[in-house]
Amino acid sequence: MFRKVLIANRGEIAIRILRACRELGIETVVAYSTADRDSLPVQLADEAICIGPPDARRSYLLAPAVISAAMLTGCDAIHPGYGFLSEDEGFAEVVAAHDLTFIGPPAAILERFASKAGTRQLLGAHGLPTIPGSDGMLRDEMHALDEAERIGYPVLIKPSAGGGGKGMRMVRTGRELESALRVCRSEAKAAFGDDSLYLEKWLDENRHVEIQVAIDRYGHGVHLGDRDCSVQRRHQKILEEAPTPALSEAARADLAERALRAAIAAGYENVGTLEFLVDSVGSFFFIEINCRIQVEHPVTEMLTGIDLVATQIRIAAGEPLGFSQADVALRGHAIEFRINAEDPANGFRPGAGVVERYHAPGGPGVRVDSHLFSGYDVPPYYDSLLGKLIVWGPDRPSAIARSRVALDELVVDGLVTNVAIHQALLGNEAFLAGKMTTNLLDRVGSEAILAAAARA
Amino acid sequence: MSERLAADRSADHAAIDRLSSELLPALIAKLGATGLGELEVREGGWRVRLRRPTGGGSYNTRDRRPGDKDRSVRSSAQAAANPVGLTPVGPGRDDRNGREGTGSDIGRVVASSPAVGTFQPRADARAGTKVREGDRLGSVDMLGIPQEVVAPADGVVGASLVEPGDAVEYGQELILIEFATSAETEA
Repeated sequence: MFRKVLIANRGEIAIRILRACRELGIETVVAYSTADRDSLPVQLADEAICIGPPDARRSYLLAPAVISAAMLTGCDAIHPGYGFLSEDEGFAEVVAAHDLTFIGPPAAILERFASKAGTRQLLGAHGLPTIPGSDGMLRDEMHALDEAERIGYPVLIKPSAGGGGKGMRMVRTGRELESALRVCRSEAKAAFGDDSLYLEKWLDENRHVEIQVAIDRYGHGVHLGDRDCSVQRRHQKILEEAPTPALSEAARADLAERALRAAIAAGYENVGTLEFLVDSVGSFFFIEINCRIQVEHPVTEMLTGIDLVATQIRIAAGEPLGFSQADVALRGHAIEFRINAEDPANGFRPGAGVVERYHAPGGPGVRVDSHLFSGYDVPPYYDSLLGKLIVWGPDRPSAIARSRVALDELVVDGLVTNVAIHQALLGNEAFLAGKMTTNLLDRVGSEAILAAAARA
Repeated sequence: MSERLAADRSADHAAIDRLSSELLPALIAKLGATGLGELEVREGGWRVRLRRPTGGGSYNTRDRRPGDKDRSVRSSAQAAANPVGLTPVGPGRDDRNGREGTGSDIGRVVASSPAVGTFQPRADARAGTKVREGDRLGSVDMLGIPQEVVAPADGVVGASLVEPGDAVEYGQELILIEFATSAETEA
C-alpha cells in the first residue's frame, strides 16, 4: 500500500480522496493553485503544496508541476480525481516514468480507451451493442454531411476527447450540422486541446444509464449496479439516481453483467463506468467508458456500502479486489443532487463569491460531500460544483420524500445555487413517474419546470 | 549608562546639525523624486530612515493576513493549530488581480518562485550585488525544466530566504531585494 499520496485536484473530490486515504492509513499532500490557498482540502491535508497560479493550465493541468510536487513531498502515488489530468494517458505515463503510481488505470490501458470511437469498436467486438455512428473521426464538412445522411438525422456531434457536454451538439438538419461543426471544433480544441469530432445517432427519448465496474490487476471484477443520469442540462448531469427506474430488475442485471464481461475481456483495470443510452423500448447502446472516479460515485456507495475511492486506491496499489459479485448487495434507492453555483432562473449563469452562511442537512440516509464552509470565497476559475447531496431511502418514493426535507434544510447564503431546480424536479410529474429522459430539461425548459413548482 | 566624552557629544551635535540642515532636505527631495517608499542613510554612528505615509510609495504593502506568512508545505501540526471553521477568510484577492509571484513590502521586494521545484541561486547574484528589474537571480528546476527567478525591481540582492537545493513551492519567497541607499544610488 502507498505511504503518501499527492491529491492533484480541488473542491469536494479532493476532500473525498483525502478521507479515503486517511482510512487506509495513507498520508496526504494536497496540490493547490493560489486561488485555492484558503480552501478546505488545503486546511484538512497533512501537507499542502502550491503548484501554480489560478489558471488551471499552469497548475492543475500542468503535468510537470504536479509530478514535481509529488516528488518534492516524498509521495509514492498521485490521485488525479476527476476532470483535469484524470484520464490523460500521457500524464499517467510520465507519472510511472518517475516511479510514482497513477491512481487509475495504467497508462497503456488509458491509451487503449482514449478514443471514444475506438472504444466503441473494441467493446462492440466484445458483445456490447453500440449506437450507430460515423466511421471514425470527421475529416471535413463533406465527410460529416455524408456520414450524417447515412446514419440518419438527428445526430449528435461529439468530441473524441473529454466530457461534460463541451463540443457537443445535437443537430436535425444538414444546415444545422454545418454551422455547429465549427463551434464544436473550437469548443473541443479549447477544452481538451483536441478538435477531433465524430457523429452518433441521436435518440430523442433516451435515458442515460451507466454501469459501475471494479476490476483488479488480475482480471477479477465485479459490477456495482447501474446509475441513471438522465436528468441533464445541455449534456451536463445535474441529478443521478440508482437503480434506474427505466429498466426491470432482470434487464438491469443483464446489462450490468454484459458490461462487466465486456470490460474484463477488453482488458480494463481499476474502477470505471460504462455509459449506455437506453431507448423507449429498453434497448441499450454502449457509448463510452469513463476511466476515472466519477462525480456521481456516491450513489453507488450508498447502495452497496463499498468505498469506491478506497477500492480504486487498493487496485492501483496492486491489491486483489478481495470480494466477489456474490458479496455485492444493492440495497434501496439513492439520489444525488449536484449543488452548483448556477442560477437556474437566469440561464444557469455561473456565480462566485463568499459563502456567508452554510448549513449541511443531516439525518438518516443523508450524505453531503462538499468543500464549503461559512466564509469560503468561491473562486471564479473552476467548475461551479459546490458539493453533492446524496440521499438514500429503502425505496424510490421514500428517497424522494427524504430528499425534499434535505434540500429544504440546506443553506448556502451569499451565492445563487441551483437548489430551486432540484426542488422543482421533485415536483415534476415525469420525474416522479421515473420517466425522465435526457432532453427533459432542455425540451420542457427549466423555466417551465421552475414555474410549475412555484404554482404548486 | 557610561560616561561620554565631551568630544563625542560635540561630534554628535555636529552630525545632527549637518543632517537637519543639509542631508534631510536633500533626502526628502530625493524620496519624492524616486517614488521609493523608504530611504535610510548612515552617517558615522547615526542612522536616519525616511518613510512615506502608508500607501504613498510605489510599492504597497501586500494585504497579508495573520498566519499567511509561511504556507509552504504546511504541516499537520500547523493545520491543527489553525482549526477549520474558526479562521475567518478575508478577501485575499491578490491573485485575482493578476498580481502573482512577487511579494512586496515597504523598502524591499521579494523575488518569489515561478514554479514548484528545487531552487538554485545564480553564482554571480550573491548578496550585495546590484540588480535591475528582470535580472536573473537563479532558477527553480521543475522536473528538469528550469524556470527563471528574476528580480521584481531594481535594487541590491539581500538575504536569501532558502538554501541552494531547497524544495520550493510556487510563489514561495526566495530572495530579498533591498532598495539602494542614497549613497549607492548616487555612486
